[in-house]
Amino acid sequence: MKVSIDADRCQGHTLCAMAAPEVFGLRDEDGHAYVLVAEVDGALLAAAQRGASTCPEQAIRITPD
Amino acid sequence: MSTDNRVVVEFDQHGTEYRDRYPEISHELRGKCPVTWSENHGGYWVVTDLEVAGELLRHPDLLSATKDITGTGNGYQGIQIPNSSPQVTAGFLEMDPPEQLDFRRVLNPYMSPSAIERWEPLVRDFTRACITDVIESGSADFVDDVANIVPAVLTMAMLGLPLADWEIYCEPAHAGIYTKPDSPDLPRVQEQTMRMVMQLAGCIAQARAHPRPGIIKALIDADINGAPLRDDGILGTVFLVIGGGFDTTTALTANAINWLSQHPAERKRLRTEPELLGTATEEFLRYFSPSQGDARTVTQDCEIAGYTFAERDRILLSFGMTNRDPAIFDEPDELRLDRFPNRHSAFGLGNHRCIGSNIARMQFKAIMSECLARIPDFAVGGDGVERYESIGVINGYKHLPITFPPGQPDGEGLAATLVRWQADLDAEAAVAPLINDQEQASR
Repeated sequence: MKVSIDADRCQGHTLCAMAAPEVFGLRDEDGHAYVLVAEVDGALLAAAQRGASTCPEQAIRITPD
Repeated sequence: MSTDNRVVVEFDQHGTEYRDRYPEISHELRGKCPVTWSENHGGYWVVTDLEVAGELLRHPDLLSATKDITGTGNGYQGIQIPNSSPQVTAGFLEMDPPEQLDFRRVLNPYMSPSAIERWEPLVRDFTRACITDVIESGSADFVDDVANIVPAVLTMAMLGLPLADWEIYCEPAHAGIYTKPDSPDLPRVQEQTMRMVMQLAGCIAQARAHPRPGIIKALIDADINGAPLRDDGILGTVFLVIGGGFDTTTALTANAINWLSQHPAERKRLRTEPELLGTATEEFLRYFSPSQGDARTVTQDCEIAGYTFAERDRILLSFGMTNRDPAIFDEPDELRLDRFPNRHSAFGLGNHRCIGSNIARMQFKAIMSECLARIPDFAVGGDGVERYESIGVINGYKHLPITFPPGQPDGEGLAATLVRWQADLDAEAAVAPLINDQEQASR
């Protein structure tokens, strides 16, 4: 599965990176999130889903490859 | 305003009833309609549904945050309902993109998770110092003696203002928030706010002549495609940083201390399982929603999320109430230290998301862990407990008396700690301009 962040929606709440630091990083300049691992399965997919579930802006998409 | 089948409710977020039972009121309103209409304060929509609030706030072109303080512009009334400080704006919080984003870009480097790490030792040391000053007596006012002081000192440090000046701004910063719009005291509080703004204008002028590292200098030095930031925007932003920096974390820590006092088993759990502090912080934020909500003004007749709005309609996005939305949160009126996921909107949503959210989290965790380590058996009590008169803006406490078993002071008290940190920051400041000059010279 593929993980992506809608940069127009992300506002830097940082909750995804707290929930799944193995999948989401935070930019130094503004704390907005970026994807560390775009292709995920198994444990990383579960982590990506954890991150997505906690996003207040619903900015994270997990889609088939 | 359009004539339609709007659901009219009796609602006032500044009222005593709201203060005493806002979670229940949120369910009552949401049960009628996710977007209801209150006739108070000139009439406004009240949004209690998280998904609707999120959708609305994705349209900053249709919902403006601006406030027209000169009366020569669009006449919009800013982010508070009612507009009880008509003479001053909350900086970029009362601007729209793209100008709002210019200001945020200047402040972001001071507010990111990596940037605020350097301040954690200051927060811990001042919390220690505040507790040292009261620990032998076995009693304190948690608000006056700890929660008002630490965030205020940190804000001074980040702005680049003298640390001891926290005390000048403390009373006006809090009173400007908790005073009810219909209070007979409002004129005095407004005048006090204006004096504070004038004082800040003096500080900015001083900083132009004698720059010190920090947010004020960054605002003065900002280069937006060759132009500086607007002077009144800089002043409003410094005012905003003080308001946001002083009152919100104070409110969050006071609410958490009060709740933990009433739930000793949960307090013990938080102390013995410190790894819980991450989810617990988000849950305290959700449950108490220190910043209860912001308003917008509709810029044109439009339909968003299935609701019809007319130009100049006022909309209150109630984050206190969206944080109790049962469609999003299982048992929303239960505080669960390990709640996950927790997609709360305590920091707002959209382009005005609280820029200080990372500072708030760091401070809350540091203050709470110092308190849990140093005075673990605190108990809130007595007649002196006093919530804000209005929690329409911030859900806070004026006073929160606590008692605890007396202990031994650890290190210097507040006065000496202020002097020591000021000396350290002055030493840094003396070096910083040289570094900046060298950087410029090498370009």
